[in-house]
Amino acid sequence: MAELEIINVSKTFGQSKVIDNVSLTVGAKEFVVFLGPSGCGKSTLLRMIAGLETVDEGEIRIGGKRVDALPPGERGVAMVFQHYALYPHMTVRENMSFGLRNVKIAPAEIDRRVAAAAKMLEIEHLLQRKPAQISGGQRQRVAIGRAIVKEPHLFLFDEPLSNLDAALRVRTRLEIAQLHQRVDAAMIFVTHDQIEAMTLAHRIVVMNNQRIEQIGTPMEVYSRPATAFVAGFVGTPCMNFAPVEITGASPFVTLRLPDGSMLETRVDRKALPEGGRFKLGVRAESVRPCATGEGNCSGTVKFVERLGDRTLVYVLLSDGTTIVAEDAGMSRIAIADAVGLRFDSAGVHLFDDVRGYHAAEGA
Amino acid sequence: MSVAAAHVTDSRETRSGARGDWSSLLYVAPFLLIYIVLVVYPLFSGMWLSLHKADFFGERVFVGLENFTRLLADKVFLGTLWNTFYFIVLTVPALAIIGLGLALALNRTTRAAAVLRGVFFSSSVLSVTIVTLLWRVVFIPDGGFIATVLEMFGKPPVAFLSDEDLALPAIAITTIWWCIGLPMMLFLAALQQVPKELYEAAALDNAGRWKTLWSVTLPSIRRTFALVIIIEIVLQFQLFGQAQLMTLGGPNNASRPIVLFIYEVGFNRWDIGYAAAAAQILFGLILMAALAQYFVARRKGEA
Amino acid sequence: MAAGSMVGRTLSDRLILVAVIVLGIVMVAPIVWALGLSLKTNAELMVDTSSVLHAPYTLQNYWDLVIGSPVFRWFVNSMIVSLGMTIGVLVLSSLAGYGFARLEFPGRDIIFVLVLFGLAVPEQAVIIPRHQLFSELGLHNTYIGLILPGLSTSFGVFLMTQYFRAIPREVDEAAMLDNATRFQVFWRVLLPMTLPAQATLGIYTFLHAWNDYWWPLISGTNAQMYTVTVGIASTQINFAESAGLGFLMAQAIFAALPILIVYVFFQKYIVRAVSGGAT
Ligand SMILES: Nc1ncnc2c1ncn2[C@@H]1O[C@H](COP(=O)(O)OP(=O)(O)O)[C@@H](O)[C@H]1O
Ligand SMILES: [Mg+2]
Repeated sequence: MAELEIINVSKTFGQSKVIDNVSLTVGAKEFVVFLGPSGCGKSTLLRMIAGLETVDEGEIRIGGKRVDALPPGERGVAMVFQHYALYPHMTVRENMSFGLRNVKIAPAEIDRRVAAAAKMLEIEHLLQRKPAQISGGQRQRVAIGRAIVKEPHLFLFDEPLSNLDAALRVRTRLEIAQLHQRVDAAMIFVTHDQIEAMTLAHRIVVMNNQRIEQIGTPMEVYSRPATAFVAGFVGTPCMNFAPVEITGASPFVTLRLPDGSMLETRVDRKALPEGGRFKLGVRAESVRPCATGEGNCSGTVKFVERLGDRTLVYVLLSDGTTIVAEDAGMSRIAIADAVGLRFDSAGVHLFDDVRGYHAAEGA
Repeated sequence: MSVAAAHVTDSRETRSGARGDWSSLLYVAPFLLIYIVLVVYPLFSGMWLSLHKADFFGERVFVGLENFTRLLADKVFLGTLWNTFYFIVLTVPALAIIGLGLALALNRTTRAAAVLRGVFFSSSVLSVTIVTLLWRVVFIPDGGFIATVLEMFGKPPVAFLSDEDLALPAIAITTIWWCIGLPMMLFLAALQQVPKELYEAAALDNAGRWKTLWSVTLPSIRRTFALVIIIEIVLQFQLFGQAQLMTLGGPNNASRPIVLFIYEVGFNRWDIGYAAAAAQILFGLILMAALAQYFVARRKGEA
Repeated sequence: MAAGSMVGRTLSDRLILVAVIVLGIVMVAPIVWALGLSLKTNAELMVDTSSVLHAPYTLQNYWDLVIGSPVFRWFVNSMIVSLGMTIGVLVLSSLAGYGFARLEFPGRDIIFVLVLFGLAVPEQAVIIPRHQLFSELGLHNTYIGLILPGLSTSFGVFLMTQYFRAIPREVDEAAMLDNATRFQVFWRVLLPMTLPAQATLGIYTFLHAWNDYWWPLISGTNAQMYTVTVGIASTQINFAESAGLGFLMAQAIFAALPILIVYVFFQKYIVRAVSGGAT
């Protein structure tokens, strides 16, 4: 059932390790997004799947067959590049048929596939043009078309939307989602944009520092981030973090926030690793401003960001920690107001401060 | 010519370049073979030859540095060195300054400017033999253009090419006429690169036209100016055809350049060891200029 | 353009205009003078060259040229040598440029630097051994012999290497995913993308070959093998007698004409090629 298996793969460029012992399985027809900051090794991993980089250690299997020694063309994958990489001297039609002609597919079949792909992508009227004569968005479609006609079982996209303007990016994102519905293939999509990842993926692979931090559905990644890195990388505004001290004995622990205020939790002391130092993580949406004295802690409003449907309130606690809270769109809170903050217990996470792993949630 | 930058762009070592193997060498082998046989081998064999007394028929005696000591005592050779330097002094600054002036004057989008640019560059596509033919009928006393004009004013003709003091300047004028297109085009290209915002800023600062020229335009093309000077030095160092065709180096060696000396010693007197030694000196001099060009060209970012 | 457009017509503008016009006249005067001479009979020139300024004019000299001059033979020679050299340089430089830019082989970077070094070696510096080599190989007075040295210049390799390097690697990679072999990547994908560089290099090489005086003078000593450039020079020997002045000028004009006509049509490319070749 697995379309792609990556088993203990590592990669080194010169002295520096860029992929460190990564394993991953992608199912047939699955849409997987590699998400992570620039330079974390997403492209390298994708390119190793495509055969554009060698695999130093480990194995890659596609459709059950070991491919890591095969040349790119023989792996049955198609790739869409960030800068499109169209052949500038060929027409759109020639761009799309080049790969098929190289494997000696019958001309009638080539025409059929090109026509079908062009229809799907609404680029039929562009087939005789050269890449220089069409717009950026159209080039993107041609690049996708060039991948579709190969009828691969695995599509690879390397940040294909990052060269488009905002409106086109949203549209193309939807079209890629639709394309995935139509074709019988798995897709791997590389991006550093969490919105793209959240909207497109069945599963997100969050990467950082040459390793996989978490693999999970978008909602898993969002609501139960495996590491502090994931928690901080996914979601806007960035999750609030604060060092906390564990007090109170059994059965549930109490947290002391940096400003000294106490937060009671339902976390079993036994569920936490012994002797660790911990970090509290909570998203703005789980922190509500309230009247002073009513919440878990209180502070002064430093800054207010009105987004229309909601309002972000930056609250300075007495010790200097800033916590971002979310209020209604019509919020009347103003700078320098004194407010209390109420934490929604379901949204509070504890991270092991040393390794950054998720330790517990539900305060 | 950003040789240094070129290395950086290519550091990505990927499969797409195919692994290091000998079959990759096939793509560069044809050129390399010709390069080695026709450049590398003659270069070293010439150095070796310059240490011999040799003639065309294969007589060779190793004489060490004798050819070089002979050269440094050879009045004719030293004269050619002097002539070559003098010729460079006559031509290179003139080419740079006239080229810059033309570029400044013709850096506009009008049709007339385009035509004039075309006219000033046109001589550059002609061969040296045509150029010298054209200019000899300008200079000759017997029916030449200048002589005819002088005659109309009742003046006697001047024999430019057979006058020791005028021969090299006459060749220099011919050369400037022939070569003016290149510096003009290089300066024009540089002027196009000057960001328009700079001029707009200068205009907002109430800088007058000369002030703008002096403090915006010229500083922006400093590097090009240096480049033009060096390129022209390298080019004019190789003066040969004009001298050979217009004066044969005369009168009395007054217009004989180094390359003509090498040619005559090598192919008229067949004293090839001696000619090879003179060629080494030419090579050393040009190498220095070429290195200067490399370093100026490399400092691209600094204008 | 920038400075000029901001200020109206001033005195300095007029002075510049006058200077440019004067220089322009200097530019065309020799050509016009030669043209005038070529349209005069020798008999008339013997009496007074200022007769150039008025009629009668005649095409006699050009007619003499057509019926009794080896200049056509020289043209054919020049054509063969220039085209041969151009094609050779394009082929060798493209192959080597691709090799240096995209392939890996032992010593690649060092070899490339050594090739670049060739840019600093003037032909005159290696002329003696090169001449001997061609003597030993019996290549003097052959087309191959006239063409070969032109193929050894590093400039083309340098230009093509730079150009190949400027093409994004993604394009090669896309082609490899399209099952193209390494040669197909070169031939079908990358090479067509270098067309502008090919044009520049081709024009530059052709013009150089056509106008080269140095090597054909030394190697092609047989009058049957003269190129136009050397041939025209050979007729200048009897220059002193202005008896042949009109005829000589007809020859010069005749030789200059094709290249000037080509120049008029391809000016943009020629200028780019020549300036690109210099820097
Ligand atoms: N060919 C290469 N040679 C050396 N280092 C490389 C090469 N390709 C990528 N890297 C390095 O590997 C790391 C991961 O790169 P990449 O996979 O492109 O990151 P991402 O796509 O996540 O932004 C980066 O630090 C990058 O500098
Ligand atoms: Mg990337």
